[in-house]
Amino acid sequence: MNNVVSHLSTALGPLRAEIRAASWFAALGEPLTGGDLADAKAYAEAADVAVLTSWPEAERFLKSPDVSLDWWDREEATRKALLAKARARYPEDALLTSLTELTTEAGDLVHGKAAVAATRMGGAAPASVHVAAGADAQAVYQLAVARIAGATGSRFESKFRLFAAGRWPLGIVGSKLSLF
Amino acid sequence: MTDIVVRSVEELKDSPEEYREAIGKLVISHAINELYGAQVFDEPAIAFAPTPYAKWLTCRVAMEEYGHHVRFKQLGVQIGIPEARMMPGGNKKPLSIFEFPLKTWEEFVAIKLLADLAEILQVEDLLHCTFHPLRNLARATMPEERFHAQFGEDFSAELVKTPEGKARLQAAVDEYWPYLPKFFGGSNSRNNEIFRKWKIKQRTNDEMREDFVRRATEVAAKYGLTLPEVRQAA
Repeated sequence: MNNVVSHLSTALGPLRAEIRAASWFAALGEPLTGGDLADAKAYAEAADVAVLTSWPEAERFLKSPDVSLDWWDREEATRKALLAKARARYPEDALLTSLTELTTEAGDLVHGKAAVAATRMGGAAPASVHVAAGADAQAVYQLAVARIAGATGSRFESKFRLFAAGRWPLGIVGSKLSLF
Repeated sequence: MTDIVVRSVEELKDSPEEYREAIGKLVISHAINELYGAQVFDEPAIAFAPTPYAKWLTCRVAMEEYGHHVRFKQLGVQIGIPEARMMPGGNKKPLSIFEFPLKTWEEFVAIKLLADLAEILQVEDLLHCTFHPLRNLARATMPEERFHAQFGEDFSAELVKTPEGKARLQAAVDEYWPYLPKFFGGSNSRNNEIFRKWKIKQRTNDEMREDFVRRATEVAAKYGLTLPEVRQAA
């Protein structure tokens, strides 16, 4: 199994480099650039992008019981399909080990960046920093699964690009993506 | 008690065999149970979480629990334990609580409120461990375990705002609580005797269990919840 884990680790090498180079949470609340807009529309297949500008505003959006979870369910369905493809390529234990090690490394890094961003912007509820880290680490995990499965051009590529560019995609309601 | 301090993985090689075996048992137990917890409770709970906020917070909890497994496993590999012994499916039986798959959000909140408190006590007992790599690992995981228990408190506070939510949470507490005092092992545990002999751990299983029941009763009462009576483990 060690050889398979080693092979997977090599395959995820480019993603590890992208994780280290990313500008996690560095552009929260900033005006959108053309690049941000393109990635947002590619990720959400949405006509509209709304920019939220503060941690309390993001928290209210995320806690709202009125926000539909259809987008979450769609992403989960995509993730499960990709995970099934990944499982067909690699043994379960090796896959679990590689994904767990990657998301553990990424989680520690992005959590620190989220805390710095929150402090820079005047503070956020401590749990909200954990939420941000959870969202970011989930995006890393989703992209890792997609790449291991051999999927090119999945929506998880553009989702990751948004996070790597310092943004936080909060959710898609109807045809609008809310972006922090 | 026997005086010993082992500052590194290298120094462990020169320590008494009984000491090395005791350390190995603890590392294996933590590595396996962290993984079971993440797979049986934390990751499945994401689907039950009611809002994106709760889902991503649960994602973070799940990833940290997986991370604890990774860190204990890495320490285990460093001290010569084969990886297969730190994964489920081997000789080590999981805690009985892991045999019951999660069914509701309220069950997960109850588990975070109470089972993670048990985890905190286990980690607290390693904070003065004479094997310093294990002591340091306990110190690293402690802030995360406290966050997980706080997760349980925060969402308990949300649930008990309505009578229906409180009733569902109480039902979940009633279902899971009986398994939790058993986390701390038997009253006359030979393993615990050896852990205390070498100052790997500080307290007897009964001392930890009594402290846990007291602290769990207090935290449950904060949210108007009660703990059912159970017969303690022998």
